[in-house]
Amino acid sequence: MDVVAGVFLVVGALFILLAAVGVVRFHDTFSRMHAAAKAPALGLLCMTIGAALAIRTAQATVVVIVITVLQLMSGTVGAHILGRSVYRRVRPDLRGPDELAEAETETSADDAAR
Amino acid sequence: MITIATILLSLAAALFMVRLFLGPTVPDRVIALDGLLMTILAAVLLSAASDDSAVSIDTVLVVALLGFIGTGVLARYIEQRGG
Repeated sequence: MDVVAGVFLVVGALFILLAAVGVVRFHDTFSRMHAAAKAPALGLLCMTIGAALAIRTAQATVVVIVITVLQLMSGTVGAHILGRSVYRRVRPDLRGPDELAEAETETSADDAAR
Repeated sequence: MITIATILLSLAAALFMVRLFLGPTVPDRVIALDGLLMTILAAVLLSAASDDSAVSIDTVLVVALLGFIGTGVLARYIEQRGG
């Protein structure tokens, strides 16, 4: 069982390292956000499973499940809030078509009308 | 196993620090800070797993909540003041 826990811990750490490499290597803010928002969620999921398998008490397992659910929800919501404010205020050079522009002008027209 | 995971997490923290110092915009630093916080969460979980104690697990919960609030506040700041 300890071997399984160790494998989960190493795989989780590897995913977090992958996210860090992505954050350093990618060359615009949205790409970096893409690396930083997804990979650590999976990494932390693996780490929590590994920790739960290593500790093996009911209390630790419950807390670990709460951490996982909380992280999966808050990570996505946080990335969404940050992405929205970057799109509206920082405006990095986008490559390819900007499919959000039309919806965004409608939203700001609605905001102005209100 | 614990040693390998510790080395990997240290490398990840160093890389996030590189991005934190390089920037170039505020959101890039927010992303790096968020990643660094994730690395800290993983490190606390790792230390809890290595000495088989559930005492420090609760810390992870608090730090995860603080990280979410911090990201939200900084995103609001960027939206109102610009990057």
